[in-house]
Amino acid sequence: MKWILFFGALIGLSICGREKFFGDQVFRINVRNGDEISKLSQLVNSDNLKLNVWKSPSTFGHPMDVLVPSVSLQLVKSFLKSQGLEYSVTIEDLQIYREMNSIAGDFPELASRVKIGHSFENRPMYVLKFSTAEGRRRRPAIWLNAGIHSREWISQATAIWTARKIVSDHGKDPAITSILEKMDIFLLPVANPDGYVYTQTQNRLWRKTRSHNPGSPCVGADPNRNWNASFAGEGASDDPCSEVYHGHHANSEVEVKSVVDFIQEHGNFKCFIDLHSYSQLLMYPYGYTVKKAPDADELDKVARCAAKALASLSGTTYQVGPTCTTVYPASGSSVDWAYDNGIKYAFTFELRDTGHYGFLLPANQIIPTAEETWLGLKTIMEHVRDNLY
Amino acid sequence: MPPRGQPPPASGPGGPRPAVLLLAPLLLLALQGVAAAPAGAGGTEDSPGLQDAELQRGLLQQAARAALHFFNFRAGSPSALRVLAAVLEGRATVNPKKECQVDLVFTTDHYNREPFCLIPKSLFQDGEERLGKCSARVFFRNQKPRPAVNVTCTRLIEKNKRQQEDYLLYTHMKQLKTPLDVVSIPDSHGHIDPSLRPIWDLAFLGSSYVMWEKTTQFLHYYMAQISSVNQWKTNDDAVDFDYTVLLHEFSTQEIIPCRIHLVWYPGKPLKVKYHCQELQTPEEASGTEEGSAVAPTELNNF
Repeated sequence: MKWILFFGALIGLSICGREKFFGDQVFRINVRNGDEISKLSQLVNSDNLKLNVWKSPSTFGHPMDVLVPSVSLQLVKSFLKSQGLEYSVTIEDLQIYREMNSIAGDFPELASRVKIGHSFENRPMYVLKFSTAEGRRRRPAIWLNAGIHSREWISQATAIWTARKIVSDHGKDPAITSILEKMDIFLLPVANPDGYVYTQTQNRLWRKTRSHNPGSPCVGADPNRNWNASFAGEGASDDPCSEVYHGHHANSEVEVKSVVDFIQEHGNFKCFIDLHSYSQLLMYPYGYTVKKAPDADELDKVARCAAKALASLSGTTYQVGPTCTTVYPASGSSVDWAYDNGIKYAFTFELRDTGHYGFLLPANQIIPTAEETWLGLKTIMEHVRDNLY
Repeated sequence: MPPRGQPPPASGPGGPRPAVLLLAPLLLLALQGVAAAPAGAGGTEDSPGLQDAELQRGLLQQAARAALHFFNFRAGSPSALRVLAAVLEGRATVNPKKECQVDLVFTTDHYNREPFCLIPKSLFQDGEERLGKCSARVFFRNQKPRPAVNVTCTRLIEKNKRQQEDYLLYTHMKQLKTPLDVVSIPDSHGHIDPSLRPIWDLAFLGSSYVMWEKTTQFLHYYMAQISSVNQWKTNDDAVDFDYTVLLHEFSTQEIIPCRIHLVWYPGKPLKVKYHCQELQTPEEASGTEEGSAVAPTELNNF
């Protein structure tokens, strides 16, 4: 299957230890004169760097777009710096968006890529919609959210793997086939594109958005404290420099607002699942209070079932419980907002691991993580399918 | 530094009026390993019994972490590092000064065993025996750093084997070409070159000291990444390692850079100096805090 090759190239299959990962980037290089053109030609023509010109400048003053494979990144950056060539790095989430397009292209009857908004730095926010519905009927729907905290790379990776899995298994796996018979699935693999780019280019451990905070040198808000569910309550900070800064007001972050608007406009979501890392936890509301959610007993049962299914693959154990007492108090979270807005089946996954590698989970764990998580996701979605309200 | 003492007594601690555990909802943490949640306390709204049990569990978890960091530091062995497997039992009491004493028993696993090595746990023949067992008494001083730790653990690795492995690590370290041509360990994709693995393990050992000191009832740390190696010198009687590590504090989600300088030789106590870049937060009344410490027993030799 083509997707295995692509994903294999994307992630790198390996057994325990050695792996290669292609984190290609597109450099947009300014060329101001003939001298700079010839310097660039030197760079582009060098065999070992394996550069790929996407767009040549037609005249001076227009930039050149070059695809740089990850192995050559450092060299190219040093070269450009030493030659005084100005450049910016564009679409780093390139691969994920390309793959989304490819999935939609390969399975047009099932999947479509939908733009739901844009980020602070004006990057598109794309979801994949999986639907077997004909016409414009608004079926009950499931929302899969990933990458809201940009450094949690296993989240975006699991999401895009899951996207492929859904289209590949539809028509073969009775579970996903029957789920899609009754419901639509919306998948947002990169809920925080600006942050994701930043983790690839500047700071691998960046968590928040990249919005500007007037009057503060610190950038960004925690997009998972910015939802309108006990906004600015306990478990968030009003300091823009904090990793859990809730933002200026609820939905101040355009990335959050885009999702809120879409879900509210749709009006028929029954399930909202948010993928994070790390800690191996499967949680349900609330994060903003220790008070028990009205559906806590049912959600707890579903979560335990899902954790059991997940563990059945490789023995990976997840703890289950309400967010506030399982991990920590957190106000303004996506899952609490979803729940308080009538989306009963609201869950947070904290994926692998439990601290050994933390955010820097090795690439050889991506597929095992995605495969086991898929079993957990299916358990939840099957329960939703059988308990529509 | 408190000496390694006897396992804590089974009976309650001394002190004028030990109070039943009652913690602010701020302390809420996950329990590792396989553990079922306590049976629901019933009721539909608040379940105070359930909350207390979970707070207890969180505190025991914190104590286990502090104890393990301290244990790893004291053992001074990069090839015998341990991680928490599960808390088996424990009890916490809080005194009027809001200081918190925790007595607990927990199991440990090898840190160095590569996790998720495509070998399912079921294939380990020895089952539970691969786990070590520790009992500890940890004293948290009301959010102040440097919890007092008394910890004893069963031997996970036979002493000679451990010394051999440490010495092997040491010889590998000596063979590394300096200056080291690395920026971050691991890289962005979690990859650590096998030849650099000893550096990571040694850095983790040094970080254990820092993480022990900084752990409180509410704060706990993981070592996220070595962001720079400033100096790496090996000679006949020591590895001299100066590096910057990024610690991830879980409850605040902050990343804290710490500059650490350690000196290590197999079998000898580890010498550590460090300085962390603390963030200014409203809770820190005195403003930016800096932790700078040398293990007291090693002062003369450093």
